[in-house]
Formats: sequence, C-alpha cells, structure tokens
Amino acid sequence: MLYVLEDAINGILMGSIYGLTALGLTVIFGVLKVINFAHGSLLMVGMYAAYWAVALTGIHPYLALIIVAPAMYFFGYYMQDIIIKPIFKAEKDVREPITVIIVTTGVWYILDNLSLLIFGPQYRNLPDNPLRGKMIELGGMMLSVPKIWGFVTAIITAGAVYWFFQKTRMGRAIRATSLDRESASLMGINQYRIYNVAFGIGTAIAGIAGVTLVPFNNVYPSVGVLFDIKGFIIVVLGGLGSIGGAILGGIIVGVIESVGPQFMAATWTEAIVYALFLVVLFVKPSGLFGVKYDW
Amino acid sequence: MKKSMAVGKTIFVLLVIFAFLGVFGNTPFSLAQSKVVKVGNIEPLSGPSASVGQQGKCARDLAVEEINAAGGIKSLGGAKIEMVYADSESKPDKGVAEAERLINTEKVNVLTGCWNSAVTYPTTAVAERYGIPFIVPVSVADKITEQGFKTVFRIAAKDGWWTRDQFAFLKDMAKETNTKLETVAFVYENGDWGKGFAEQWKKLAEQAGLKVVLDEPYPSTATDLSPVVQKIKRANPDVLLLVSNAADAILLTNTLAEYKVKPKAIIGSGGGHADPSFLSASGKNAQYMFDIVEWETDVGKPGVPAFNEKFKAKCGYNPAGESVDAYIAMHVMADALERAGSLDPKAIRDALAVTKLSSGPAMIASYDAVEFDQTGQNKNAALVIVQINDIGKGFERLSVWPKGARHAGYTPVFPAPQQ
Repeated sequence: MLYVLEDAINGILMGSIYGLTALGLTVIFGVLKVINFAHGSLLMVGMYAAYWAVALTGIHPYLALIIVAPAMYFFGYYMQDIIIKPIFKAEKDVREPITVIIVTTGVWYILDNLSLLIFGPQYRNLPDNPLRGKMIELGGMMLSVPKIWGFVTAIITAGAVYWFFQKTRMGRAIRATSLDRESASLMGINQYRIYNVAFGIGTAIAGIAGVTLVPFNNVYPSVGVLFDIKGFIIVVLGGLGSIGGAILGGIIVGVIESVGPQFMAATWTEAIVYALFLVVLFVKPSGLFGVKYDW
Repeated sequence: MKKSMAVGKTIFVLLVIFAFLGVFGNTPFSLAQSKVVKVGNIEPLSGPSASVGQQGKCARDLAVEEINAAGGIKSLGGAKIEMVYADSESKPDKGVAEAERLINTEKVNVLTGCWNSAVTYPTTAVAERYGIPFIVPVSVADKITEQGFKTVFRIAAKDGWWTRDQFAFLKDMAKETNTKLETVAFVYENGDWGKGFAEQWKKLAEQAGLKVVLDEPYPSTATDLSPVVQKIKRANPDVLLLVSNAADAILLTNTLAEYKVKPKAIIGSGGGHADPSFLSASGKNAQYMFDIVEWETDVGKPGVPAFNEKFKAKCGYNPAGESVDAYIAMHVMADALERAGSLDPKAIRDALAVTKLSSGPAMIASYDAVEFDQTGQNKNAALVIVQINDIGKGFERLSVWPKGARHAGYTPVFPAPQQ
C-alpha cells in the first residue's frame, strides 16, 4: 500500500511537470487555433537555455527562470512575428490554417538540427547543484526534491496564466481574439499582435518547463520529441485550450506511468496511455476537462 | 488563377533542372572522372542515437582519409573511396528506404551501418536482394548474421557472446572475491537489441543457478525512469544487468543513485553505457559500474596510443569500442577491394568472405585477425569487461576481465560497497 502511495505521489509530481510542458501547447492552440508542432523544440531550446544559464554561472537552477522565461518570451514573440505571421496573413480566410501547421513542423526540424550543429549530439547533465539527486525520505517513502520544485512551479505557472487571461486587459483581448478574431479586430484589437503575445507566452512556459526538467534530466538536441508526443496526448486528454486540463491531463499520464509498472511491464503503461487517449477521443472529443466552446 | 500558373511554371522549371542533374550525374560524363568506390553508410545521424551515429561517422572518415592518403585502392588504379552518408534517425523504415536510395540512385558499391540492430535487420535484406555487400560494424543482434544471407559481414561480436561473457565474468569475480551471488535482475530497452539480450540472460541465469527477481523491459524514449528504479529497489537483486541507449542509460544511472539502489554489481552492455558522454553526464553516480565492450583505450596493442591521439584530434573525444569497429570495418573493406580488383558486387563479396586481415591500421583490435565464418560473423571478435572508477585521473573505464587484460595495478571493486 505504501508502495502504491509512493508511486502515486511520484506520478503526480512528474505528471504536473508533463502538464507544464503541455501548457504552452494548449495556450498557443487556444488562441491561434493551430497545433504547434515545434513545441517540443521550443522546450528543447528552453532546456538548453536553462542548462547554459546554470552551467556557466553556477546559480541555483531555479534562479535561471529570471533569464530563461523572458528570453523565451521574446524568442517566441519574434518567431511568430517573423516566420508564422506571414503565413497567417496569406491564409486569413481560413479558420484553422493548415499551412501554419506545416510551417511549425519546419521550425521543429530547423531548431532540432541547428542545435545538433551548434551543441553537438552529446548528452549534457548539470554539474553538481543544490537540487541534483536530492531526495527527501518521508515515512519510508522517497520523494525527489527537484520534482517537488517542478510540481510547485507547474501549479504556480498554471495559476498565473489563468489569472492573466481572466483578469488583465491583455488577457481579455487574447480571449476575445480566440473566441472570434473578426469581431475582435472590429473592436480595435490588433489580431497579429495578440498572436505574437500568445506565442510568446506559450514559448515562455516551455522555457519554464525546461528549467524544471534540467536539474534531473539530460539535455540533447532531440529531447523535445519525447515530451512533444506526451504533450499532444495530454492536451487532448485535458481538453485543447484548457489550462487546468493540461495540468490534470499531465497528472493522469504521470500517475499511469508511475503506478502502472508495479503491476505490469513498464512498456505496457504506454499502451494504456494511448488507449485512454483513443477512448477520450471517441467518448468526449473535447477532452476530459475541455468545454464545448472555446473559452 | 494567375498565381497558381506561376507556381506551376516554377515547379516545371525545377523539374527540368532536376532531370538534367539526374541525367548528367549518371551517364558517360561521369566515366571521364577517375574511378571512385562509393560507400553508402546508414547511421543514426539525428534523433535519439545521434551521438553514436556521429561517432561512427567520424571514425569512418578517419579511416577513409588514411586509405585515400595512402593512394586509394591500388588494384583499381588508385581509386579513391567516396563516402555517402544517410540518416536513419534510428527508424527501421527510414533505414530501408535509405538503403534503396543508396543502391538505386547513388549507385553505391558497398553498404555499411546501421548501429541500431532494429534498423540493420531489415536493411540487410535490401542489400541481399540487390547483392550489394553490407558490412555491419556494430549491430550485435544474433539474427542479423543468421538469416542465411550471403552479403552480410559483421565486425563486432554477436550478442550471444556478449551475454556469455557477462555471466562468465560474474562467475569468475564471485570466485575471485568470494562473494555469494543469488539473485539477478534484467532491465533493458524494449528493442531488438535489449530483448535479444534478455532472452539469453534468462537461459544463462538458469545455468548459473541465479534466481531472476525482475525481468523488465522499458521504453527507450521514457522521460521518467523512477517507476522502473522503484521496481529494482523492491526486487533488491544482487546483480543488475542492463541494456540501454545513451539518454536512458544516463537517466537510469542517475535515478538509481537518487533512490540509493546499490546492488553488488551493475553490468551494462555497451551501447549507451559506452557513449563518451555517459561518463561526463553521470559522473560519480556511475562509479563501480561494469560495462562490456570490445575495445578500450588501454588495450595493449602497438598502434593504439597513436590511434587514440589521432582520433581525439579529429573527433574531439576518446574513441569507444563502437567507433573502433567502424574504423576497422573501413580497413577490412579496403583490403577486400584491393584483393577483388573490381567493382563488381559479387567480386567484392567473395573477397570479403575470405578476409584474413592480420596487419595494418585495423589491427588496433584486441584480437589478432579479422576473419569471417560462413555466416559472415567475425569469428575472432573478443570482449573485455571494464569498471568505471577514479584512480586519480577522474572517472575512467578500466579493463578488469579477462584477467590477462586487466589494467596494470588495478583491483576491481567487487561487490560494490553498500556504504
């Protein structure tokens, strides 16, 4: 029983981090109505940014947030502005522009291969730091300290993003654009600037997720792909566009992955996650926590 | 309407250009150039195993530079070797498609690759169909040379030998240090390679009288291995046997240390554990681990120190067993081409089949000659077991088994201290 509890807690901790990696994906989809296939690569860029920020200065890994989150925001902002916006303009009559999806796939390939060229194929792991390998023992259970930090960060980030969308003027403008971009434009909202901001926020969240992963995971050029696939499953489980849904979807996947292996081979848990994904698509295509209508 | 016509026009122009390039690339014009031997190499140059793929590429390039600088293939009028690389991304379907392309479009004379056994296995079938000789430096799955193919030649030891030596090592060490070993756990990546090892471990464990307390495949793409580590911890084995690719080898080693799992011995199976970045990324967490490899930088062969230096200067890291296999493969190929004196695939194949290479740069190998048996397996390939430890120069890999190859003055730490 203690084992199951221990595994469930580990699943919740790790799952909230999965949720955080998927959160940026869901934010970008919610506003742009476009699946961003480059999201894993943005996460990879965030991980490298966090890795270098910590490895070069030797600061506490979470202090890197001060540098990584704003840097990633501007990276996403200008990537959308320079690369994706022109495609949007060319396809402005379509509600869900397919071409943009293809462009994000191109961005994914370019970013992954650029990092392969620049950083090489090596696997990198942070040198000793205040979080690496730290565990706390709690009544016979062992819990990973960096994952607890990740859990707290995920909850705070999701809360902050929710608050931002509900309460601020910019947040309301973003929601208005996401509901109906034509009307929003007629009300004087600059649709493309909103897209830039939303993409920037999504990328900044990927950067935050990168910071939470770096203390206990390797960094290498194709690391994003692993989290990317998981991210897609999580956002569909939780409901595309739903902020709470992304975190809860992540926790569901995390718990299955963590508790499952105690009863079967670890490879089977992947099958269970995918099966659940299919069932959700059949029974409730809007996702477990998604709403029928956008925001 | 106008716009789409313009697009159509552009496509037409591009097609014409491509057609021209295609025509001029392959017809009598190219005969005017001096003769070249085209070698197609399928490697995981990007994706999860990019690190080993790039090492294999660097090792091959080093060998080919040497061969070309020494005057190319003399029996072919000094023909130079031209390398054509294709990226498998570790995906079997990609490997097969690239093999078709290399044979039909690039017209390669010899193929090599593909590191991942799961990629090599279907890809060798393509080469067999076209009769193109296929040199496999490292994919170790037994079945690759057991398909009855005529064109497949493997430099590395096959996995049956790897597992056999892992258990022989355990037996010898248990006797040498008077340690009682009772239980064993298998944890392996869920591919052809890992599953092949696990099947043989099961039989060997039974013969050795060891009780299998855990038999756990895991997906190599796992992002969190703590559930698997928890299972190992609860099974509490004396010996932990692993097959891992690089990213998961690092994650697993670090997670094992976090959960303070300390079996008496942890033994890797090359691959991820032999990757040069494994040591730097896991550091102290890898201390006392054993790994089985074909070659180590401390092998006592005359050419080795010079080779180490040359390799490090070109590639920027120390050579590992798998890079050495790739390097040897190129010299074996050059030797066969020299004896074949022809670019006919059948002549090259026949020359490879009677290879007996016992001198030259390839003999940095730990054994005395490269010779293939009738299945195409290098029958002399031998293995050493190393331990990761720090003896004053940072963490390094020290040969410990067989006893004759043991690093001078080093006593292996067995069993690992339980602190």
